[in-house]
Amino acid sequence: MLSSIKSHIPGWSVFFQALITLVVPLLIYRIYKALTSLADDKLVSSGGADSSDEEPTHPISASYDANIDEIRNTIGINSDVVIRELTMGDAKVRAALIFVKGMQEDQLLKMEIMRMLRDTEPDHPLPIIERLPTNAAHTISTMEELTKAVLFGYLALMIDGRDEGFLINPPSGPARDITEPVSESLLRGSRIGFTEDINVNTAMLRKQGVTENLQVRSFMVGHTIQKELAILYLDQIVNPDLLREVTGRIEKIKLDFAAESGYIEQMIEDNYLSPFQQTQNTERPDRVIAALLEGRIAILLDGTPFALIVPVTFSMLLQSPEDYFERWMPGSLLRILRFLAAFIALMAPSLYISFISFHPGLIPTELALTIIETRQGVPFPALIEVLILEIAIEILREAGIRLPKPIGPAMGIVGGLVIGEAAVKAGIVSPFLVIVVAVTAISSFSIPMYSAGITLRLLRFVAMLFASILGMFGTILFFLLICCHLSKLKSFGVPYLTPLTPFRWSDWKDFFVRVPIFMMKRRPKLMKTMQNKRR
Amino acid sequence: MRSLKFLALLLAVAILITQSGCWSSNEIEDLAVYAGMALDTGEESPEEKTFEQEGGSYSKQNKITATVQIVPLKTGSKDEVKGKTSPYTNITGTGDSILEIFRQFSLRLNKPIIGHHLKIIVISSQLLQQRNIKQVTNFMLRDNDIRPSVKIFLSSGKALEALTIKTPDEVPSFYINDVVQNQFRTSKIMDAVLLTDLDAMMHSKQSFILQNIIQAKKHIEFSGAGIIKGDTGRWIGNLTQEDVECIDWLTNQGDSGTIKTYDEQGNPITYEMKAMKTRIRVESDQDNQLTFQVHVETKGRISEDWDMEGNPALRSYQKEIEKLFKSKLTSMIEHLLSAMQNRYKVDVAKFCQAVRIQKPGLWKEVKSNWDEAFSASKINLDIDLQITDFGSTTK
Repeated sequence: MLSSIKSHIPGWSVFFQALITLVVPLLIYRIYKALTSLADDKLVSSGGADSSDEEPTHPISASYDANIDEIRNTIGINSDVVIRELTMGDAKVRAALIFVKGMQEDQLLKMEIMRMLRDTEPDHPLPIIERLPTNAAHTISTMEELTKAVLFGYLALMIDGRDEGFLINPPSGPARDITEPVSESLLRGSRIGFTEDINVNTAMLRKQGVTENLQVRSFMVGHTIQKELAILYLDQIVNPDLLREVTGRIEKIKLDFAAESGYIEQMIEDNYLSPFQQTQNTERPDRVIAALLEGRIAILLDGTPFALIVPVTFSMLLQSPEDYFERWMPGSLLRILRFLAAFIALMAPSLYISFISFHPGLIPTELALTIIETRQGVPFPALIEVLILEIAIEILREAGIRLPKPIGPAMGIVGGLVIGEAAVKAGIVSPFLVIVVAVTAISSFSIPMYSAGITLRLLRFVAMLFASILGMFGTILFFLLICCHLSKLKSFGVPYLTPLTPFRWSDWKDFFVRVPIFMMKRRPKLMKTMQNKRR
Repeated sequence: MRSLKFLALLLAVAILITQSGCWSSNEIEDLAVYAGMALDTGEESPEEKTFEQEGGSYSKQNKITATVQIVPLKTGSKDEVKGKTSPYTNITGTGDSILEIFRQFSLRLNKPIIGHHLKIIVISSQLLQQRNIKQVTNFMLRDNDIRPSVKIFLSSGKALEALTIKTPDEVPSFYINDVVQNQFRTSKIMDAVLLTDLDAMMHSKQSFILQNIIQAKKHIEFSGAGIIKGDTGRWIGNLTQEDVECIDWLTNQGDSGTIKTYDEQGNPITYEMKAMKTRIRVESDQDNQLTFQVHVETKGRISEDWDMEGNPALRSYQKEIEKLFKSKLTSMIEHLLSAMQNRYKVDVAKFCQAVRIQKPGLWKEVKSNWDEAFSASKINLDIDLQITDFGSTTK
């Protein structure tokens, strides 16, 4: 009886394996928890410090001299601050225009204001603000506000005997022309791209079409240097919970200075350990409007042409506005092609490694013989061989960005050809690999989102390591790992892989295939929009 | 402290990955791919004899000789050497077990041999006279490298000679492998028997045929088929090329076929089959005496006619010729039937399938000694041949 039970008890090695399979996932889970809590700690610890920097405010006094002195003491030491004093009319009331050089380019306006002030009697019946020859003017009452506004580029006016200042004309500093978006150029579609000025950018979005629903809400981000940030959404469409989440996260941002929207992206993303981006960045106003219509939210930051779109799903990274501009069949074809390209960009080198090093039987015989012949002189294992060429290509690509414009593209092509050819001649790599690497490089360029391309480039190297250790088995493991991660990843509460998982059949209309526009009657289900119907 | 622990863990993982390295990885150029295999009766090759004189031997009884064809031979680093060297190399070993012979090759080769790309196995019929085909192919069926899609051939002469034939710039294994593709041009080439088919046929204990290869002066020809008797697994004889052709007629599988005959003046005329349909009906009486009614229906064209007088466009002339073809086809099939029923007493034309499907009850009874039951059965031929076309000219 006992012996019959005993024979069913497995040996110690089975128990050891069971222990390992129990401990390893737990360990990974613990590490993951620890790493994510690291991010939370940072947020909390930096959040505690800010309550103390409330400074006492200085109201603007009625004494002109006191005010001017104070301005001279605070911001007057800057060589680019101009304080132009003048006298009003015959009453000899003193006044001053204060501005920063280079930020008030409108000479005519300054002349007009000065002439008006000179000609005005202080006891004029109309308040002075109504007589200023500009449409943008308002009064302020504290010194801090005034100095800040002047440094930001406003034209300030102080008049003797008044305990208030006038801010005239918002800054009109040097701005770049509106140009075609460099990172997302299309053959068909508008040629307009965002610029660095947030007001121009919001105006561009307004100009896309007339709607009363487009709402813009402004925030200031940055502690040391403040910057304007705007979130845009369509009022009747956006899900209020999503809006609350986004505003909540933006209000929580603790930053010294937001140099680019990438800073914002990294402060509000869900999972900092994921290699995949959880916001979409774009230079194209049409892309932003399309996203808003799907119920997404756009985040614009002053000083950068890159707007952020949240939440983002995986399929968005492989979509291009052209899919919709072209007719549905070519649009769908190109889209499927891009999915294929993404797969190649991610897996091709690792498949090469696993075929060459582990599974020669999976290569068609004729090809296998050719590979054997061409690889006879190659002294390295497949992984090293691939790494040599891949790294060379990546360096070339990185160098191509830095190279001066006229020689950049030439250098890229020549460099690629020369390095590939020379490496084959020198017997470092096999000619077959040159094809693999070239196809991989081309594929990764076909991904419309640059940052998604970087992610795939990064993951490609991980895939290569997996392949070199476990062959095809490792490659499949890697793919499963990516799938697991993606299916768990969320961007602002929206699962990253929708509509694949959770499965939403109705959203497949705009996934691999882009169905004709008349069939897309509803907004994506995944966004849970307030207004479901598109028309 | 915590970060230190984390660092240690990271280091452990890194070491684990780097130390385990490339598990079981083996670069493709460091492997010797063999594309063909030949099995012969145990007879040592000259170099093996020399090895043995030098003391290179182990305990064995020389039951079998195995030859593998390794491709490609290192072509040399520069192109100038190319063309002089042959694209393959053969290595022969004699011993008792094929696996042991293969392991013995490792003493003589600089690379391990792998069988992923094995295309053909040629077995000499002499070997199959001595040994059961199940014994001979046992290793190939068990091995996990060798694909089940390997094609099996018989060779009248020495099998290893089929792997040394003269082919311009091509590996003999691939050459033989590709000849099978010509099947759409002649039904004298039978459907290739794959390793998995062989497995199934050996298990069913029914007799079957394998494509036979003959050699002459370093050239090969696919000629006829060798018959393997089901219960013993031994080779018992060969069918002729025309017999193989007729098997296609009987099993309703031919999609190509020509019949050549002579008219009264001795002028050759050739019929090219375009469509065919064969039906076999099984009848049996009380003592299980089987009768097969074979009905062959075919349509085709006159493709060659040396007769200068007749007008092939005339229906009367066509009818006359139809008769000639019919009698020729009948005699061809009857030759096959007599070979099967009288000479070898085996059924290799799938008559058993007809019985199994049409008379399942009866099949259970005769299954165990089917070859005898088949040999005793009566077969009636009924051929319906029709000429529908005479090509692009009447002359």
